[in-house]
Amino acid sequence: MSARLESVQAFRHEALLYSGWEEFILGTLPFIRNGLNAHEAILVVVSAEKRAVLRTALDRDADRVLFADMAQVGSNPALIIPAWQAFVRKHGSTAAGLRGIGEPIWKGRPDDELAECQRHESLLNVAFAGGRPWRLLCPYDMAQLDEAVITEARKSHEFVNEAGTSAPSETFRGVEACREPFSQPLPEPDHRFDEFVFSESDLASVRDMALRQAHAARMPEPRARDLVAALNEIATNALMHGAGRCGLRIWRDQGKLICEVRNSGSFDHPLADRQEPGPEASSPRGLWLANQLCDMVQIRALSDGTAVRVHMRTDTGVDRNLMHGHQVEPERTDRLN
Amino acid sequence: MIDRRAAHQGAPADDGPIYADSFLVVTRTHQPDGLRFSGEIDINNSSAVAEALRRGFPNGGDHHIDLRSLLFCDISGIRAFVDAGRELEPGHQLRLHGLPKPLERVMQVTGWSDLPWLAMCTCTMDQE
Repeated sequence: MSARLESVQAFRHEALLYSGWEEFILGTLPFIRNGLNAHEAILVVVSAEKRAVLRTALDRDADRVLFADMAQVGSNPALIIPAWQAFVRKHGSTAAGLRGIGEPIWKGRPDDELAECQRHESLLNVAFAGGRPWRLLCPYDMAQLDEAVITEARKSHEFVNEAGTSAPSETFRGVEACREPFSQPLPEPDHRFDEFVFSESDLASVRDMALRQAHAARMPEPRARDLVAALNEIATNALMHGAGRCGLRIWRDQGKLICEVRNSGSFDHPLADRQEPGPEASSPRGLWLANQLCDMVQIRALSDGTAVRVHMRTDTGVDRNLMHGHQVEPERTDRLN
Repeated sequence: MIDRRAAHQGAPADDGPIYADSFLVVTRTHQPDGLRFSGEIDINNSSAVAEALRRGFPNGGDHHIDLRSLLFCDISGIRAFVDAGRELEPGHQLRLHGLPKPLERVMQVTGWSDLPWLAMCTCTMDQE
């Protein structure tokens, strides 16, 4: 197939449903090779193991492909869209075309992270609708993942590639539905939690409560300060956009501290937490900051208001190279021999 | 628990504060002339911070800000400093001295660390 026929007119978001290594390679390698033949910029964001296999298979051409680690880029699923946006921004005007492979969902990802990854997959359609055309292929391992995960992948991707054939997904929910507020319920805490109802004059107490809990959980001091800064912004947002007082709950869960803020307001800005703030002082920064400083932020539109949960591991956490402008830092192409 | 008593130590005794509430005290510094912010800044007092920055520097030139005893500053507070720096005459800077590490990090991830009118300095003002 010629490169001309391969070019896309819009953002093409496609799920690759595969089972096992053979189907993974047969599904991704021709996609990469077609991109190389068309002189496109290509970024592959998958696990270390899959990167090694693709590098070996690409041999000398591996140097022409950008690779990044999904365990790092996607440890917080809300940071993946900014990473793709940085890729499109950087290469969009110079490359003949753009394509990416991203596998944010793998067996063993905890349920809360899985939910955020699925939300991320839906929001990709919103983030890139109407922009620079490019293709993104998202592999899903059918042999490892639950049937419900595959069913959701068919809803969040406009195209599905299975058994070597690419076709429109019959169950794609559509860009407009992806834009809807996320209302999937959050599980109630399994553990004992601290609760506090606060108003504007109580923000210092909100910070104190989080810091005390972080210290009790032996969270390293810099992370404790990051958590306090993030929670303060989320609590401030909740007060600004809600009516009256807000609720705070804090509890420990499997090596993490979770802080939840609830208000009675509605939240209808699907990409607000993953939009890099502009230099102008008025541009909002709170949710962006929380995603940068903490391990994960969950936002839910519930029947009685909005809930935001900030997750922070109590150990040293994942090094996400935050100080480098949130770009995907492509690994140097140290080929495996 | 943030020890709020420590924030109020070291403020010059001869000059009265130009602003004070339960969490924040703003005092004048000399050599260089500037303002010291001790305590915590959030949405409750960030407009007072903006006002102090407007009134605190009657003369032009660089503006020196001592943040060594700043225990917390939210985005609305940082915004007050950013806005004050933007309003300076071209070529002059708002110089933030003793910027606490957590605040420096917040400024970096929110895209406010590379503004030409803001200088971040980890020294203490005494060394100037």
